[in-house]
Amino acid sequence: MTTAATNLRPAPFLRRYLTFTWLTLAIAAAIMVFEAFANASLVVNTLVTGGMWALMAAGLAMVFGVMNIPNFAHGELFLLGSFTAFTVFSPIQDALFDDPSLTWLKVFGPIPGMVVALAVGAITGVLLEVVLFRPLRRRSRDQWVMNTFLLTAGVSVVAINSYRLVVGNDFHGVSGYWIVPPVNVAGVPISVDRLMVLLIAVVTIGLFALFLQRSRLGRAIRAVSQDETGAQMAGIDLNGIFILTMAISCALAALAGASLLFLFPAYPDVGLQPLYTAWFVVILAGLGNIPGAVVGAFLVALLQNLTIFYVGVGWVDVLPTLFIMLILLFKPSGLFGSAVKGVWEQ
Amino acid sequence: MATHPSAWAALLRANRRRIALIAVLVVALVLPFIPPFTGEDYRRWLVGAAFMAAQAVAFDFTAGYINIVNFGFAAFVGLGGYTSGLLAVELGIPPVIGMVVGGAVSGFVGLVTGALTLRLRGIYAAVMAWFVGLALMGIVRNVPELTRGSLGLAVPSLLDSPENLPYYYVILAMLVVTFGVLTWVIRSRFGLAFRAIGQNLAAARASGINPTRYLVINFVLSCAFAGWLGGFYAHYYGILTPDVMLTSHTVEVLAIAYIGGRGSLWGAAVIAFPLSIGVEYAKVQFSTLPGVHLVLYGLLLIVVMIYRPGGVAAAVRSFDDWLERRRRPAVAEAPHPA
Repeated sequence: MTTAATNLRPAPFLRRYLTFTWLTLAIAAAIMVFEAFANASLVVNTLVTGGMWALMAAGLAMVFGVMNIPNFAHGELFLLGSFTAFTVFSPIQDALFDDPSLTWLKVFGPIPGMVVALAVGAITGVLLEVVLFRPLRRRSRDQWVMNTFLLTAGVSVVAINSYRLVVGNDFHGVSGYWIVPPVNVAGVPISVDRLMVLLIAVVTIGLFALFLQRSRLGRAIRAVSQDETGAQMAGIDLNGIFILTMAISCALAALAGASLLFLFPAYPDVGLQPLYTAWFVVILAGLGNIPGAVVGAFLVALLQNLTIFYVGVGWVDVLPTLFIMLILLFKPSGLFGSAVKGVWEQ
Repeated sequence: MATHPSAWAALLRANRRRIALIAVLVVALVLPFIPPFTGEDYRRWLVGAAFMAAQAVAFDFTAGYINIVNFGFAAFVGLGGYTSGLLAVELGIPPVIGMVVGGAVSGFVGLVTGALTLRLRGIYAAVMAWFVGLALMGIVRNVPELTRGSLGLAVPSLLDSPENLPYYYVILAMLVVTFGVLTWVIRSRFGLAFRAIGQNLAAARASGINPTRYLVINFVLSCAFAGWLGGFYAHYYGILTPDVMLTSHTVEVLAIAYIGGRGSLWGAAVIAFPLSIGVEYAKVQFSTLPGVHLVLYGLLLIVVMIYRPGGVAAAVRSFDDWLERRRRPAVAEAPHPA
């Protein structure tokens, strides 16, 4: 759509000062980051939350790229993951309290919770596709993006309030997964939980990237996101790909929820911030751009942590929004958006 | 044997939709005097229902015609409410003027948001409006010196009367004004452009419409009405907390607008009454289960989105067409007696 591209250019008077603006902003940002990074916990927090936002945002971006669904219920998968992990982990935690000498349980105890959360997330994803999206797709694909957006908004509201009805408003959390003294990294004590979460994020993103790039199924997923009709002509089973995409995306979100249980205890609205952040990342990186989402996630985590460091926790929702508005003013299709134009452009 | 339909009957039939709307309005006017609604509790529900109806009309003006979902709608309502409330508390400006100023402020924020996001694809605008809404809520939470944060801002009331009945007629009048103005805009050439853009952006652009301009005009109008209605909310309930701006309130309005039928305005206005009152009733019945009303709204929204995308308005329209089709063969036969 060339007409769209010409329309999206910034106004001339803005363009004239663009270089100057970017330079000023970059220098200011560099100074702020340098100052803040004297505080090591900020670096760790950025990496840990960034890794988990990457899991959320990559799933969100993939579902949008492949199925054209802007999933507003992605945060509820986070909630599902954290509650599942809590349910599985609490008996293990009790067993550890009774007998702290079980070394193997201490090391591997948190793993089952995460694995079960992954599975539950995947099953939920399949259910969402089969029960909601497929009937809608069969009826009509008019205004598909807006309709699925509203549909998932409905799912989100139902999920949050059903959870509130069934489980209640209490916080269900754990103080930590691995109850061991913090390790020293470059002279700074860092809790093992955070390091493990970072490890989980890196490994999962690596496996996910490998799957998308190297495997047959991953190639099929990318093919569908580029051209649905073409992929179908090449013999790819669209329904299967849709189910798989939804399952992976939801499983990743649930894993993020399970891993961050020690930071975000399970309660009805816990999904809001992850959802908000994941959307933030996806808008920043360009809709449907998976690698961009991974990079953007760390960028947004940095932005949030800087906001907390310099201004205060309460402004986490406010300042990044102003920032993203600035970005959209100059780069309307996202920071890395220009290269990625999938089926959703139609 | 052929009976000519009298001129009166033809006139009635030609104007049947207008007559139906007037009948609905008359019902709404006398409703507070019909037994279950004579109690103060029920009248409060009526005020709430009319408030929801007016919001849903303003929401549908954007969602149904230009196909942009303003996901931060509740924040624009809240912004108008806070503006009006703060003007009354800090400067002693009468609520009637404050409400209009609140509408103007909401419209201005809508202008900034719209100008930045409406040249992008619809989903960007929806998500950005949501972000702006969250940011507004964050600001209100973070300046407790002014807004008293989540403690709540006490606001003087609009009328001297402690009863609900006068408020009901005020909000009903505001509903009629909202509906009237927005219908008038839809009937004008603007409405034609809105619909063209909402249905096919590329085709609209090809026929010489500047989409962004019309999208922004539509968005600003909707936000301004949201702010004005928010002023009523503030001065009716007398207390404002940042929770007014919660996304779940947007979803309530959105659910009513879509169940009523997108792109009809009247569908949302009419269905808001039974729906909102039914939900209030459910809330009382299941008072031990918080949030049950949102589950109901959500489920209804899901079912409507999948199975009846046109909502109640489309159902009524197809029923009307069916009646028309049943009548027409009889008319066609009449001029040929034997």
